[in-house]
Amino acid sequence: MTAVGGAVYDRGYRPYEGPRGGRSAARLALYLASIRRALGLRRSWRQKVAPFVLLGIVTIPAVINVGIAYLTRNTPGNQIRFITYRDYVGVSSALLVFVALVAPDIICPDRRQRVLPLLFSRPLTGFDYVLAKVAALTSILFAFSFLPQVLLFVGQALVSDSTLDYVRSNADITWKVAASCAVLAIYYAVIGVAVASLASRRIVAGASLIGLFLVSSIVSGVLVSGADAQANGSFGALVNVLALPLALRDVIFLGHIALPSRLAGVHDGAWAALGVYLGVLSIGVLTLYRRYRWTER
Amino acid sequence: MSQPLGATSEPAAAGAPLDPSFVPDPTIEVQDLSVWFGQKVALSELSCSFGAGVTGLLGPNGAGKTTLMRAVTGLIPVNQGRVLVAGADPRANREVYRRLALVPEDEAVPGGLTARGLVRYEAALHGLVDRSAPDRALERVGLLDVADRRVDGFSKGMRQRTKVAAALVVDPAVLVLDEPLNGADPVQRLALIQLFQALGAEGRTVIVSSHVLNEVERLADRIIVVVHGRLAAAGNQRAIRETMNDRPRHVLVRTDDGRRLAGGLVGLASVQGVTFEPLGIVVSTTQANELAAALPGVARDLSVRVREVRPLDDSLESLFRELTR
Amino acid sequence: MTLLRVEALTKRYGSVVALDALDAEVPRGLVGVVGANGAGKTTLFRILLGLAQPTAGRVEVVGIDVAADPIGVRSRLGYMPEHDCLPLDQTAADVVATFGELGGLPAKAARQRASDVLDLVGLDEARFRPIGGFSTGMRQRAKLAQAIVGDPELVLLDEPTAGLDPAGREEMLELVSRLGTFGISVLMSTHLLDDVQRICDHVLMIDAGRLVVAGPTASLLESSGGVTVDVGHDGGAELLRARLAADGLTVSVTDGELQLDQADDEALDRIIAAVAELGLPLYRMGPRTTSLDDVFLERAGR
Repeated sequence: MTAVGGAVYDRGYRPYEGPRGGRSAARLALYLASIRRALGLRRSWRQKVAPFVLLGIVTIPAVINVGIAYLTRNTPGNQIRFITYRDYVGVSSALLVFVALVAPDIICPDRRQRVLPLLFSRPLTGFDYVLAKVAALTSILFAFSFLPQVLLFVGQALVSDSTLDYVRSNADITWKVAASCAVLAIYYAVIGVAVASLASRRIVAGASLIGLFLVSSIVSGVLVSGADAQANGSFGALVNVLALPLALRDVIFLGHIALPSRLAGVHDGAWAALGVYLGVLSIGVLTLYRRYRWTER
Repeated sequence: MSQPLGATSEPAAAGAPLDPSFVPDPTIEVQDLSVWFGQKVALSELSCSFGAGVTGLLGPNGAGKTTLMRAVTGLIPVNQGRVLVAGADPRANREVYRRLALVPEDEAVPGGLTARGLVRYEAALHGLVDRSAPDRALERVGLLDVADRRVDGFSKGMRQRTKVAAALVVDPAVLVLDEPLNGADPVQRLALIQLFQALGAEGRTVIVSSHVLNEVERLADRIIVVVHGRLAAAGNQRAIRETMNDRPRHVLVRTDDGRRLAGGLVGLASVQGVTFEPLGIVVSTTQANELAAALPGVARDLSVRVREVRPLDDSLESLFRELTR
Repeated sequence: MTLLRVEALTKRYGSVVALDALDAEVPRGLVGVVGANGAGKTTLFRILLGLAQPTAGRVEVVGIDVAADPIGVRSRLGYMPEHDCLPLDQTAADVVATFGELGGLPAKAARQRASDVLDLVGLDEARFRPIGGFSTGMRQRAKLAQAIVGDPELVLLDEPTAGLDPAGREEMLELVSRLGTFGISVLMSTHLLDDVQRICDHVLMIDAGRLVVAGPTASLLESSGGVTVDVGHDGGAELLRARLAADGLTVSVTDGELQLDQADDEALDRIIAAVAELGLPLYRMGPRTTSLDDVFLERAGR
């Protein structure tokens, strides 16, 4: 059977008639694009190494804990814990390295390569930009702290004598872990993005972040040991930008700040910690507001 | 009147027609010049010369124009061949080197300087003592009234002009400019074109590179075209076109009866083909002169009214297109 | 619908007046905005994108009052900045698709349109290569692609031919003029009147913040009538001049070419007859043209 006729089609321009989102769609798109960039998705394999290796590192304690629990499940020593949930919502250096790597990577190139004018030609305001970036980094940090916890919880539950009992008796852990991971994630995300917004070069931003964390913990250490603070704790511990959210974590888990935080014995230490926490966030947000205020007078 | 640089190499043998890539009284001679950067060959055995007046330097991006400009002003060493300015190697001879000025394409300017400051700085670098020289240079480029404003606040066009002033203050015998008209509005462009023409008329050797071909047409008496590091064409634009006779030229003829006229023209030996366009008929020929001579007669004999006769590839644009194909 | 309506638009930065009471009404199509760098073109673009507030006056783009809805207007516009602005480590397809999404397109549509427009601008083969490896011409085209990926009503092009060699420039101008056939209007800022003369239907000339010229290109270029004739440089010009003068035409010779005041049919016939009779070669004959350069110089009045 022979073909019926023939035709040549014009591959010209096709107008777009489909749905169009507005500001919120743009914001969401920026959020997702930033996450993709941070995790190296849609880019070469080399970009994926750092994030996923760090995720692996951060997961190791959970694996060890579950492993030990499993191995000792039938012996009297089965209460050995390698790490507690509270401790696990900690400041692992892996996470900090991740912040120092990722925050500059999603912020600095936009400025250095002069992509910002192009971004703001879209239905996006400076506020939307900041919101999307902070949300992206927060999400990633949250995931990186929370997922290992989930692994730990599920692993422990499965390995314990009765899964259901374990879950029931440890139910409160779930919200405590989630809340404290969120507290940490938001904090480091805002600091990370704010510091990164001050530099155009990623290396400078990354080094500044690490420097900020290190210096503040050193200074804090000096202040704390300077006073006769060994027994009673000291407000100097508030200067430690790095470890501040841990105080709030303690509050969430225990109702009060515990050792080894230097705030442990301080009267009203918890409120002070909350105050400084909010203060740091405010400074961060203010910095971002000034850096990305795109509409002029 | 600018001081001439001095003796040049031996003039061509009397009576011998000169290859258009050379001028009879050259200031700058480029002999078998090759320059490479690592694996990249920027210039490949290029030979030509430049003399007084304005020469346009053309070529696609990456063809080697900037390298040639730098080699000719002694800013880079050459890997093979040589560059002679007034018979001397600009990199070896300080006297000659000081009379060369290159105005590169928009590059960063040292921050914080005013226009006058920048020009004075340049003058000082060359050990100039004449205190009125900077102001005179600024006046020539039309920036005297803004001489005390900071250069980093200038628009691109004004920055370029400041750099031209900085080059002029040392009274160069050779002035090489890379895209000097970039960023200038039509009025500034005209002023600059007139300035360059005046500088050329003063006996200086002015070399201007630009991508805006219709301006090069106006500005330069002579053009040098570099493609892929080699010389693609040289000389007078019209004359170059004449030599490209194997490539057909196209002439647009607007008439009231294209078909009839086409019928009459097709019989001519000089006509290679006729195309029908919305605007009129386009006649292609390799013998433009013969066509021009025959056309009026054919139109008259056929009583076809001709409204317009327009050669389509007379411009430097079309010449350039042919050369870089 | 008018493309752009500007009423008494003024923009001041401190004591510097960037735009001074601009008044213009621009129809759809290809519009050239000409002026030197610093004349106010970029400021105008920023105001159109809702990125800067005017000090005074009103702006309406594609029917939207920019002051009322600065964000909304951006959904209908595309923007191609002059400087390099694309992330260098991502592929062209990824970048254009992402910017499509940032403009509000759903992800799948963005990806498909990205592919379409990259083909349109001639980057079909290179689209999975990182932009860092692109030449200037390719980068310009990628920038144009991201400007049209959202199927805007109007694109703002800031010096689209900057940095391009003659071949690249011609390709870019050809691409830009095709945008008109896609139903996309263009506001192209440039300091090259030649670009405008070649492809724009309408011109706005800005000098030091003031609008010195606004109107359709064709009417601006309307010659003052008359004809130019080129019969070569072998002395024929003078012969022809004498002959045509004897015929009653007003004719003079400038730069070896004849300039006639009359351009009616009878005059044209006389010219052809005279040239044929004298046996002169006819190289060129056509209406006396002005160029936009002349118009600008005249109107800018400096």
